[in-house]
Amino acid sequence: MSRGPFIFLAAFFALASSWFGLVLVPQAQLGRQVESKTVPAGDIYPQARPGLAAQGREVYRANGCASCHSQQVRQDGISIGMAVVKPGTNLTELVEAILKVAPELGRNRAARLVQELPKPILTGVTRMEADKARREIAVTGAKAVVTVEPVGPDIARGWGKRRSVAADFLFDRPVMLGSQRVGPDLASIGSRAASEEWLLGHLYAPRSVTPGSTMPTYRYLFEKRRIQREPSPEALRLPEAFKPEQGFEIVPKPEAKALVAYLMSLKATAQLFETPMLLPPEPASASTNAPAATSGGTNSPTRP
Amino acid sequence: MTREPANVIAAEPAEPKAGGVTMPMWLVWALAIAGYWGMVYFDSRGGWFNTQVYAPYATLDEVTALQPASDADAFVNWGKVKFKETCELCHGEDGMGKPNQAPPLAGSEWVNGPANRVIRIPLHGLSGPIEVAGKQYNFASSMTAMGAALPAEDLAATLSYIRQAWGNKSPAITTEEVSAVKAATAGRTQPWTVEELKGIQ
Repeated sequence: MSRGPFIFLAAFFALASSWFGLVLVPQAQLGRQVESKTVPAGDIYPQARPGLAAQGREVYRANGCASCHSQQVRQDGISIGMAVVKPGTNLTELVEAILKVAPELGRNRAARLVQELPKPILTGVTRMEADKARREIAVTGAKAVVTVEPVGPDIARGWGKRRSVAADFLFDRPVMLGSQRVGPDLASIGSRAASEEWLLGHLYAPRSVTPGSTMPTYRYLFEKRRIQREPSPEALRLPEAFKPEQGFEIVPKPEAKALVAYLMSLKATAQLFETPMLLPPEPASASTNAPAATSGGTNSPTRP
Repeated sequence: MTREPANVIAAEPAEPKAGGVTMPMWLVWALAIAGYWGMVYFDSRGGWFNTQVYAPYATLDEVTALQPASDADAFVNWGKVKFKETCELCHGEDGMGKPNQAPPLAGSEWVNGPANRVIRIPLHGLSGPIEVAGKQYNFASSMTAMGAALPAEDLAATLSYIRQAWGNKSPAITTEEVSAVKAATAGRTQPWTVEELKGIQ
Protein backbone atom coordinates (compact mmCIF):
# COMPACT_ATOMS: atom_id res chain seq x y z
CA MET A 1 0.00 0.00 0.00
CA SER A 2 2.51 2.52 -1.09
CA ARG A 3 -0.12 4.42 -3.15
CA GLY A 4 -2.79 5.02 -0.54
CA PRO A 5 -3.71 8.60 -1.50
CA PHE A 6 -3.71 7.70 -5.19
CA ILE A 7 -6.13 4.80 -4.69
CA PHE A 8 -8.30 6.94 -2.44
CA LEU A 9 -8.50 9.68 -5.05
CA ALA A 10 -9.29 7.21 -7.85
CA ALA A 11 -12.12 5.66 -5.82
CA PHE A 12 -13.36 9.10 -4.82
CA PHE A 13 -13.53 10.33 -8.41
CA ALA A 14 -15.18 7.12 -9.60
CA LEU A 15 -17.95 7.50 -7.01
CA ALA A 16 -18.17 11.27 -7.40
CA SER A 17 -18.62 11.04 -11.16
CA SER A 18 -21.50 8.57 -10.84
CA TRP A 19 -23.10 10.75 -8.16
CA PHE A 20 -22.66 13.71 -10.47
CA GLY A 21 -24.27 11.93 -13.40
CA LEU A 22 -27.03 10.05 -11.60
CA VAL A 23 -28.01 12.52 -8.86
CA LEU A 24 -26.75 16.03 -9.47
CA VAL A 25 -27.40 16.39 -13.21
CA PRO A 26 -30.99 15.00 -13.09
CA GLN A 27 -31.67 17.23 -10.10
CA ALA A 28 -30.38 20.28 -11.94
CA GLN A 29 -32.37 19.23 -14.98
CA LEU A 30 -35.73 18.33 -13.48
CA GLY A 31 -35.52 19.37 -9.82
CA ARG A 32 -37.21 22.72 -10.30
CA GLN A 33 -39.87 21.58 -12.74
CA VAL A 34 -43.30 23.11 -12.11
CA GLU A 35 -46.75 22.65 -13.59
CA SER A 36 -47.03 23.36 -17.28
CA LYS A 37 -49.91 24.00 -19.63
CA THR A 38 -51.43 21.45 -21.91
CA VAL A 39 -51.30 22.06 -25.66
CA PRO A 40 -53.51 23.43 -27.12
CA ALA A 41 -56.19 23.51 -24.37
CA GLY A 42 -54.01 25.51 -21.94
CA ASP A 43 -55.09 23.66 -18.78
CA ILE A 44 -52.68 23.42 -15.88
CA TYR A 45 -51.01 20.02 -15.75
CA PRO A 46 -50.64 18.01 -13.60
CA GLN A 47 -53.34 18.57 -11.02
CA ALA A 48 -52.57 17.35 -7.50
CA ARG A 49 -54.40 14.10 -6.78
CA PRO A 50 -57.61 14.45 -4.78
CA GLY A 51 -57.37 13.54 -1.06
CA LEU A 52 -58.73 10.01 -1.33
CA ALA A 53 -56.47 9.26 -4.28
CA ALA A 54 -53.46 10.63 -2.38
CA GLN A 55 -54.30 8.19 0.45
CA GLY A 56 -54.66 5.46 -2.13
CA ARG A 57 -51.15 6.13 -3.32
CA GLU A 58 -49.94 5.10 0.14
CA VAL A 59 -51.99 1.89 -0.11
CA TYR A 60 -50.45 1.26 -3.54
CA ARG A 61 -47.02 1.78 -2.02
CA ALA A 62 -47.65 -0.31 1.11
CA ASN A 63 -48.92 -3.30 -0.86
CA GLY A 64 -45.94 -3.28 -3.18
CA CYS A 65 -48.03 -2.88 -6.31
CA ALA A 66 -45.00 -1.23 -7.95
CA SER A 67 -43.02 -4.46 -7.78
CA CYS A 68 -45.22 -6.00 -10.48
CA HIS A 69 -46.78 -2.97 -12.19
CA SER A 70 -44.82 -0.23 -13.93
CA GLN A 71 -46.12 3.27 -14.55
CA GLN A 72 -44.08 4.25 -17.55
CA VAL A 73 -45.25 3.99 -21.12
CA ARG A 74 -42.55 3.80 -23.77
CA GLN A 75 -42.75 5.30 -27.22
CA ASP A 76 -40.73 4.41 -30.29
CA GLY A 77 -41.70 7.26 -32.55
CA ILE A 78 -44.61 9.01 -34.13
CA SER A 79 -46.77 8.42 -37.14
CA ILE A 80 -47.86 11.54 -38.99
CA GLY A 81 -50.89 11.33 -41.18
CA MET A 82 -53.89 13.14 -42.53
CA ALA A 83 -57.52 12.40 -41.81
CA VAL A 84 -60.63 13.70 -43.51
CA VAL A 85 -63.17 14.69 -40.89
CA LYS A 86 -66.13 16.16 -42.72
CA PRO A 87 -67.07 16.24 -46.39
CA GLY A 88 -67.88 19.48 -48.13
CA THR A 89 -70.85 19.85 -50.43
CA ASN A 90 -69.19 18.20 -53.41
CA LEU A 91 -68.40 14.54 -52.72
CA THR A 92 -67.15 13.80 -56.24
CA GLU A 93 -64.58 16.54 -55.96
CA LEU A 94 -63.54 15.19 -52.55
CA VAL A 95 -63.01 11.71 -54.01
CA GLU A 96 -60.85 13.25 -56.73
CA ALA A 97 -58.82 15.15 -54.15
CA ILE A 98 -58.36 12.00 -52.04
CA LEU A 99 -57.19 10.10 -55.11
CA LYS A 100 -54.71 12.88 -55.79
CA VAL A 101 -53.09 12.63 -52.35
CA ALA A 102 -53.47 8.84 -52.01
CA PRO A 103 -53.65 7.32 -55.52
CA GLU A 104 -53.01 3.81 -54.16
CA LEU A 105 -56.48 3.79 -52.58
CA GLY A 106 -58.33 3.32 -55.82
CA ARG A 107 -61.56 5.00 -56.86
CA ASN A 108 -63.92 2.42 -55.34
CA ARG A 109 -62.36 2.48 -51.89
CA ALA A 110 -62.10 6.28 -51.91
CA ALA A 111 -65.77 6.53 -52.81
CA ARG A 112 -66.62 4.21 -49.92
CA LEU A 113 -64.35 6.12 -47.50
CA VAL A 114 -66.09 9.43 -48.02
CA GLN A 115 -69.35 7.80 -46.88
CA GLU A 116 -67.80 6.76 -43.55
CA LEU A 117 -66.01 9.90 -42.39
CA PRO A 118 -64.01 10.65 -40.29
CA LYS A 119 -61.35 8.38 -41.79
CA PRO A 120 -57.55 8.51 -41.87
CA ILE A 121 -56.35 8.82 -45.46
CA LEU A 122 -52.56 9.04 -45.13
CA THR A 123 -50.25 7.58 -42.47
CA GLY A 124 -46.49 7.49 -42.09
CA VAL A 125 -45.75 10.68 -44.04
CA THR A 126 -43.80 13.81 -43.09
CA ARG A 127 -45.44 16.85 -41.55
CA MET A 128 -44.94 18.76 -44.79
CA GLU A 129 -46.60 16.06 -46.88
CA ALA A 130 -49.48 15.85 -44.44
CA ASP A 131 -49.90 19.65 -44.45
CA LYS A 132 -49.85 19.70 -48.22
CA ALA A 133 -52.41 16.89 -48.48
CA ARG A 134 -54.59 18.67 -45.95
CA ARG A 135 -54.59 21.79 -48.12
CA GLU A 136 -55.48 19.72 -51.19
CA ILE A 137 -58.50 18.33 -49.38
CA ALA A 138 -59.45 21.71 -47.94
CA VAL A 139 -59.90 23.33 -51.37
CA THR A 140 -62.88 21.05 -51.98
CA GLY A 141 -64.60 22.51 -48.93
CA ALA A 142 -64.06 19.38 -46.84
CA LYS A 143 -62.47 19.49 -43.41
CA ALA A 144 -59.21 17.59 -42.99
CA VAL A 145 -56.73 17.48 -40.13
CA VAL A 146 -53.08 16.57 -39.76
CA THR A 147 -52.65 13.75 -37.24
CA VAL A 148 -49.60 13.07 -35.10
CA GLU A 149 -49.91 9.72 -33.33
CA PRO A 150 -47.32 8.36 -30.91
CA VAL A 151 -46.46 4.74 -31.71
CA GLY A 152 -44.68 2.01 -29.80
CA PRO A 153 -45.27 -1.45 -28.33
CA ASP A 154 -46.82 -0.13 -25.10
CA ILE A 155 -49.15 2.18 -27.01
CA ALA A 156 -50.15 -0.70 -29.29
CA ARG A 157 -51.13 -2.66 -26.16
CA GLY A 158 -53.43 0.15 -25.17
CA TRP A 159 -51.43 1.07 -22.09
CA GLY A 160 -51.36 4.75 -22.93
CA LYS A 161 -51.71 7.28 -25.71
CA ARG A 162 -48.20 8.69 -25.41
CA ARG A 163 -44.94 8.15 -23.56
CA SER A 164 -44.63 9.04 -19.90
CA VAL A 165 -42.78 12.26 -19.09
CA ALA A 166 -41.52 13.82 -15.88
CA ALA A 167 -44.57 16.11 -15.61
CA ASP A 168 -46.82 13.07 -15.08
CA PHE A 169 -45.15 12.38 -11.72
CA LEU A 170 -44.69 15.94 -10.52
CA PHE A 171 -46.79 15.61 -7.35
CA ASP A 172 -45.99 11.97 -6.56
CA ARG A 173 -43.57 11.31 -3.77
CA PRO A 174 -42.10 8.77 -3.97
CA VAL A 175 -42.42 8.23 -7.70
CA MET A 176 -43.42 4.60 -8.18
CA LEU A 177 -42.23 3.97 -11.70
CA GLY A 178 -41.83 0.26 -11.12
CA SER A 179 -39.18 -1.81 -12.82
CA GLN A 180 -40.96 -5.07 -13.61
CA ARG A 181 -43.99 -5.86 -15.67
CA VAL A 182 -45.46 -8.98 -14.19
CA GLY A 183 -48.78 -7.23 -14.70
CA PRO A 184 -49.74 -4.57 -17.23
CA ASP A 185 -48.54 -0.99 -17.05
CA LEU A 186 -50.79 1.25 -14.97
CA ALA A 187 -49.71 4.72 -16.16
CA SER A 188 -53.15 5.28 -17.70
CA ILE A 189 -55.29 2.66 -15.95
CA GLY A 190 -57.75 5.41 -14.98
CA SER A 191 -58.59 6.11 -18.59
CA ARG A 192 -59.03 2.47 -19.65
CA ALA A 193 -60.53 0.71 -16.60
CA ALA A 194 -64.24 0.15 -17.18
CA SER A 195 -65.36 1.41 -13.78
CA GLU A 196 -64.46 1.63 -10.11
CA GLU A 197 -66.53 -1.46 -9.49
CA TRP A 198 -64.50 -3.37 -12.07
CA LEU A 199 -61.29 -2.40 -10.24
CA LEU A 200 -62.75 -3.41 -6.86
CA GLY A 201 -63.76 -6.77 -8.28
CA HIS A 202 -60.28 -7.14 -9.72
CA LEU A 203 -58.66 -6.43 -6.37
CA TYR A 204 -60.93 -8.84 -4.48
CA ALA A 205 -60.67 -11.69 -6.98
CA PRO A 206 -58.70 -10.86 -10.13
CA ARG A 207 -59.97 -13.95 -11.95
CA SER A 208 -63.58 -12.93 -11.40
CA VAL A 209 -63.18 -10.20 -14.03
CA THR A 210 -60.03 -11.29 -15.90
CA PRO A 211 -59.86 -15.05 -16.46
CA GLY A 212 -56.29 -16.32 -16.32
CA SER A 213 -54.95 -13.38 -14.31
CA THR A 214 -51.83 -14.15 -12.28
CA MET A 215 -52.44 -11.32 -9.82
CA PRO A 216 -52.76 -12.34 -6.16
CA THR A 217 -56.03 -11.58 -4.41
CA TYR A 218 -56.19 -8.66 -2.02
CA ARG A 219 -59.09 -9.92 0.12
CA TYR A 220 -57.80 -8.22 3.24
CA LEU A 221 -58.77 -4.90 1.68
CA PHE A 222 -62.38 -6.10 1.88
CA GLU A 223 -64.69 -7.08 4.69
CA LYS A 224 -66.91 -10.14 4.64
CA ARG A 225 -69.90 -9.47 6.80
CA ARG A 226 -73.34 -10.83 7.55
CA ILE A 227 -76.10 -9.06 5.66
CA GLN A 228 -78.18 -7.00 8.07
CA ARG A 229 -81.75 -6.69 6.87
CA GLU A 230 -80.77 -5.47 3.36
CA PRO A 231 -77.52 -5.87 1.34
CA SER A 232 -75.19 -2.86 1.42
CA PRO A 233 -75.22 -0.75 -1.75
CA GLU A 234 -71.42 -0.96 -1.67
CA ALA A 235 -71.35 -4.74 -1.67
CA LEU A 236 -69.48 -6.29 -4.60
CA ARG A 237 -71.59 -7.98 -7.26
CA LEU A 238 -69.47 -11.03 -7.88
CA PRO A 239 -69.92 -13.92 -10.31
CA GLU A 240 -71.40 -17.10 -8.80
CA ALA A 241 -68.04 -18.87 -8.31
CA PHE A 242 -66.61 -16.04 -6.21
CA LYS A 243 -69.64 -15.22 -4.07
CA PRO A 244 -69.43 -15.68 -0.31
CA GLU A 245 -71.81 -18.11 1.39
CA GLN A 246 -75.50 -17.32 1.65
CA GLY A 247 -76.28 -14.44 3.98
CA PHE A 248 -72.86 -12.77 3.68
CA GLU A 249 -71.61 -9.89 1.54
CA ILE A 250 -68.22 -8.44 0.55
CA VAL A 251 -67.77 -4.70 1.12
CA PRO A 252 -64.58 -2.71 0.40
CA LYS A 253 -62.66 -1.29 3.34
CA PRO A 254 -61.60 2.38 3.18
CA GLU A 255 -58.15 1.24 1.95
CA ALA A 256 -59.67 -0.47 -1.07
CA LYS A 257 -61.75 2.59 -1.90
CA ALA A 258 -58.69 4.83 -1.58
CA LEU A 259 -56.61 2.52 -3.77
CA VAL A 260 -59.28 2.48 -6.45
CA ALA A 261 -59.54 6.27 -6.29
CA TYR A 262 -55.78 6.41 -6.85
CA LEU A 263 -55.94 4.00 -9.78
CA MET A 264 -58.75 5.99 -11.35
CA SER A 265 -56.62 9.14 -11.00
CA LEU A 266 -53.80 7.59 -13.08
CA LYS A 267 -54.46 9.26 -16.42
CA ALA A 268 -51.24 10.23 -18.17
CA THR A 269 -52.90 11.26 -21.40
CA ALA A 270 -52.70 15.06 -21.33
CA GLN A 271 -51.28 16.65 -24.47
CA LEU A 272 -48.11 18.44 -23.45
CA PHE A 273 -45.54 20.40 -25.38
CA GLU A 274 -42.96 17.65 -24.87
CA THR A 275 -45.33 14.98 -26.22
CA PRO A 276 -46.79 16.41 -29.44
CA MET A 277 -50.03 14.66 -30.32
CA LEU A 278 -52.75 15.42 -32.79
CA LEU A 279 -54.92 12.36 -32.47
CA PRO A 280 -57.24 11.41 -35.31
CA PRO A 281 -60.89 12.07 -34.58
CA GLU A 282 -62.82 9.11 -33.22
CA PRO A 283 -65.02 7.38 -35.80
CA ALA A 284 -68.61 8.36 -35.15
CA SER A 285 -69.81 4.77 -34.77
CA ALA A 286 -67.26 3.68 -32.16
CA SER A 287 -68.79 3.11 -28.74
CA THR A 288 -67.39 5.43 -26.10
CA ASN A 289 -67.68 2.90 -23.27
CA ALA A 290 -65.30 0.22 -24.50
CA PRO A 291 -64.61 -2.63 -22.10
CA ALA A 292 -61.43 -2.53 -20.08
CA ALA A 293 -58.47 -3.95 -21.90
CA THR A 294 -56.46 -5.07 -18.89
CA SER A 295 -55.66 -8.67 -18.40
CA GLY A 296 -53.16 -9.38 -15.67
CA GLY A 297 -50.01 -11.12 -16.75
CA THR A 298 -50.77 -11.24 -20.44
CA ASN A 299 -49.78 -8.57 -22.88
CA SER A 300 -52.89 -8.73 -24.95
CA PRO A 301 -52.65 -6.28 -27.84
CA THR A 302 -56.00 -4.64 -27.26
CA ARG A 303 -56.94 -1.01 -27.53
CA PRO A 304 -59.10 0.64 -24.90
CA MET B 1 13.55 -37.35 10.29
CA THR B 2 15.91 -34.45 10.67
CA ARG B 3 14.68 -31.12 11.74
CA GLU B 4 15.97 -28.07 9.99
CA PRO B 5 18.29 -26.09 12.09
CA ALA B 6 16.34 -23.43 13.96
CA ASN B 7 18.79 -20.71 13.18
CA VAL B 8 18.25 -20.86 9.40
CA ILE B 9 15.33 -18.63 8.52
CA ALA B 10 13.84 -19.05 5.03
CA ALA B 11 14.32 -15.83 3.10
CA GLU B 12 11.01 -14.02 2.90
CA PRO B 13 10.11 -12.76 -0.57
CA ALA B 14 10.59 -9.04 -0.92
CA GLU B 15 7.66 -6.67 -0.53
CA PRO B 16 6.10 -6.20 -3.99
CA LYS B 17 6.64 -2.79 -5.49
CA ALA B 18 4.47 -1.01 -7.98
CA GLY B 19 6.52 0.16 -10.89
CA GLY B 20 5.74 2.78 -13.47
CA VAL B 21 4.55 1.48 -16.81
CA THR B 22 3.70 3.64 -19.77
CA MET B 23 0.09 3.50 -20.91
CA PRO B 24 -0.18 1.17 -23.92
CA MET B 25 -1.02 2.96 -27.15
CA TRP B 26 -4.01 0.72 -27.90
CA LEU B 27 -5.64 1.83 -24.65
CA VAL B 28 -5.21 5.48 -25.59
CA TRP B 29 -6.84 4.77 -28.93
CA ALA B 30 -9.63 2.72 -27.35
CA LEU B 31 -10.42 5.56 -24.94
CA ALA B 32 -10.32 8.12 -27.71
CA ILE B 33 -12.70 6.07 -29.84
CA ALA B 34 -15.03 5.50 -26.90
CA GLY B 35 -14.99 9.23 -26.16
CA TYR B 36 -15.73 10.09 -29.77
CA TRP B 37 -18.56 7.55 -29.93
CA GLY B 38 -19.98 9.05 -26.74
CA MET B 39 -20.01 12.53 -28.23
CA VAL B 40 -21.68 11.36 -31.42
CA TYR B 41 -24.24 9.40 -29.39
CA PHE B 42 -25.01 12.40 -27.21
CA ASP B 43 -25.24 14.73 -30.18
CA SER B 44 -27.78 12.52 -31.93
CA ARG B 45 -29.99 11.76 -28.91
CA GLY B 46 -29.06 14.02 -26.02
CA GLY B 47 -31.29 16.97 -26.84
CA TRP B 48 -28.70 19.06 -24.97
CA PHE B 49 -30.26 18.13 -21.60
CA ASN B 50 -33.40 20.06 -22.51
CA THR B 51 -36.19 18.96 -20.16
CA GLN B 52 -38.74 19.22 -22.95
CA VAL B 53 -36.96 16.84 -25.29
CA TYR B 54 -37.71 13.19 -24.63
CA ALA B 55 -36.90 10.20 -26.81
CA PRO B 56 -37.77 9.60 -29.63
CA TYR B 57 -37.02 13.27 -30.32
CA ALA B 58 -33.44 14.53 -30.54
CA THR B 59 -33.85 18.30 -30.69
CA LEU B 60 -36.25 20.94 -29.43
CA ASP B 61 -36.99 21.98 -33.01
CA GLU B 62 -38.32 18.53 -33.85
CA VAL B 63 -40.78 18.83 -30.96
CA THR B 64 -41.72 22.37 -31.97
CA ALA B 65 -42.33 21.33 -35.57
CA LEU B 66 -44.98 18.85 -34.41
CA GLN B 67 -47.00 21.24 -32.27
CA PRO B 68 -50.49 22.13 -33.36
CA ALA B 69 -50.00 25.29 -35.38
CA SER B 70 -51.54 27.30 -38.15
CA ASP B 71 -50.39 26.41 -41.64
CA ALA B 72 -48.06 29.40 -41.83
CA ASP B 73 -46.45 28.67 -38.46
CA ALA B 74 -46.03 24.97 -39.24
CA PHE B 75 -44.32 25.95 -42.50
CA VAL B 76 -41.82 28.24 -40.79
CA ASN B 77 -41.22 25.73 -37.95
CA TRP B 78 -40.38 23.11 -40.54
CA GLY B 79 -38.08 25.59 -42.22
CA LYS B 80 -36.19 25.98 -38.96
CA VAL B 81 -35.54 22.22 -38.82
CA LYS B 82 -34.25 22.31 -42.41
CA PHE B 83 -32.15 25.41 -41.70
CA LYS B 84 -30.39 23.56 -38.89
CA GLU B 85 -29.59 20.69 -41.21
CA THR B 86 -28.51 22.70 -44.21
CA CYS B 87 -27.45 26.26 -43.46
CA GLU B 88 -26.59 26.61 -39.79
CA LEU B 89 -23.05 25.28 -40.03
CA CYS B 90 -21.87 28.38 -41.90
CA HIS B 91 -24.54 31.03 -41.33
CA GLY B 92 -24.83 30.34 -37.61
CA GLU B 93 -27.77 29.57 -35.35
CA ASP B 94 -28.26 33.31 -34.74
CA GLY B 95 -28.07 34.13 -38.45
CA MET B 96 -25.04 36.36 -37.89
CA GLY B 97 -22.77 34.44 -40.25
CA LYS B 98 -19.28 33.25 -39.40
CA PRO B 99 -15.94 34.93 -40.07
CA ASN B 100 -14.25 33.59 -43.22
CA GLN B 101 -17.27 31.37 -43.92
CA ALA B 102 -20.51 33.20 -44.59
CA PRO B 103 -22.10 36.65 -44.34
CA PRO B 104 -24.99 37.33 -41.94
CA LEU B 105 -28.60 36.60 -42.84
CA ALA B 106 -30.10 38.71 -40.06
CA GLY B 107 -30.85 42.15 -41.40
CA SER B 108 -29.45 41.24 -44.83
CA GLU B 109 -30.91 43.09 -47.79
CA TRP B 110 -30.37 39.96 -49.90
CA VAL B 111 -32.53 37.81 -47.63
CA ASN B 112 -35.20 40.46 -47.25
CA GLY B 113 -35.03 41.56 -50.87
CA PRO B 114 -37.06 40.33 -53.83
CA ALA B 115 -38.16 36.69 -53.51
CA ASN B 116 -36.79 35.77 -56.95
CA ARG B 117 -33.32 36.90 -55.85
CA VAL B 118 -33.07 35.02 -52.57
CA ILE B 119 -34.46 31.79 -54.07
CA ARG B 120 -31.66 31.72 -56.66
CA ILE B 121 -28.83 31.86 -54.11
CA PRO B 122 -29.31 28.42 -52.44
CA LEU B 123 -30.33 26.85 -55.76
CA HIS B 124 -27.00 27.47 -57.49
CA GLY B 125 -24.73 29.10 -54.96
CA LEU B 126 -23.06 32.50 -54.96
CA SER B 127 -19.49 33.55 -55.69
CA GLY B 128 -17.49 36.73 -55.55
CA PRO B 129 -17.39 39.66 -53.14
CA ILE B 130 -20.70 40.78 -51.69
CA GLU B 131 -21.86 43.72 -49.60
CA VAL B 132 -24.32 42.84 -46.83
CA ALA B 133 -25.85 45.42 -44.51
CA GLY B 134 -23.20 48.00 -45.33
CA LYS B 135 -20.25 45.65 -44.84
CA GLN B 136 -18.01 44.24 -47.53
CA TYR B 137 -17.42 40.45 -47.51
CA ASN B 138 -14.98 38.57 -49.69
CA PHE B 139 -14.55 34.91 -48.88
CA ALA B 140 -11.94 32.52 -50.19
CA SER B 141 -14.53 29.99 -51.34
CA SER B 142 -17.90 30.60 -52.89
CA MET B 143 -21.20 29.34 -51.52
CA THR B 144 -22.13 25.96 -53.01
CA ALA B 145 -25.60 25.03 -54.24
CA MET B 146 -26.77 23.96 -50.79
CA GLY B 147 -30.46 24.04 -51.64
CA ALA B 148 -30.32 22.36 -55.03
CA ALA B 149 -31.05 18.93 -53.57
CA LEU B 150 -33.89 20.12 -51.32
CA PRO B 151 -37.46 19.60 -52.53
CA ALA B 152 -39.09 22.89 -53.52
CA GLU B 153 -41.31 22.75 -50.47
CA ASP B 154 -38.42 22.36 -48.02
CA LEU B 155 -36.48 25.16 -49.67
CA ALA B 156 -39.50 27.46 -49.54
CA ALA B 157 -39.94 26.68 -45.84
CA THR B 158 -36.25 27.28 -45.11
CA LEU B 159 -36.26 30.61 -46.95
CA SER B 160 -39.49 31.62 -45.22
CA TYR B 161 -37.80 30.87 -41.91
CA ILE B 162 -34.72 33.02 -42.62
CA ARG B 163 -36.99 35.83 -43.86
CA GLN B 164 -38.88 35.84 -40.54
CA ALA B 165 -36.26 34.96 -37.93
CA TRP B 166 -33.80 37.18 -36.03
CA GLY B 167 -35.83 40.34 -36.60
CA ASN B 168 -36.28 39.85 -40.33
CA LYS B 169 -39.85 40.67 -41.31
CA SER B 170 -40.37 39.71 -44.93
CA PRO B 171 -43.26 37.77 -46.40
CA ALA B 172 -42.92 33.99 -46.60
CA ILE B 173 -41.89 32.30 -49.83
CA THR B 174 -44.29 29.85 -51.38
CA THR B 175 -43.52 26.48 -52.90
CA GLU B 176 -44.87 27.72 -56.23
CA GLU B 177 -42.38 30.61 -56.31
CA VAL B 178 -39.49 28.19 -55.73
CA SER B 179 -40.78 25.78 -58.38
CA ALA B 180 -41.08 28.65 -60.87
CA VAL B 181 -37.48 29.77 -60.28
CA LYS B 182 -36.29 26.16 -60.46
CA ALA B 183 -37.99 25.76 -63.83
CA ALA B 184 -36.66 29.10 -65.13
CA THR B 185 -33.04 28.31 -64.21
CA ALA B 186 -33.11 24.59 -64.94
CA GLY B 187 -29.97 24.41 -67.12
CA ARG B 188 -27.72 26.56 -64.95
CA THR B 189 -24.64 25.05 -63.31
CA GLN B 190 -22.62 28.16 -62.39
CA PRO B 191 -23.06 30.04 -59.10
CA TRP B 192 -24.62 33.48 -59.23
CA THR B 193 -22.66 36.68 -58.92
CA VAL B 194 -23.76 39.87 -57.24
CA GLU B 195 -24.06 41.71 -60.57
CA GLU B 196 -26.31 39.01 -62.04
CA LEU B 197 -28.54 38.97 -58.99
CA LYS B 198 -28.89 42.74 -58.95
CA GLY B 199 -30.49 42.48 -62.38
CA ILE B 200 -33.26 40.27 -61.02
CA GLN B 201 -36.29 41.76 -59.42
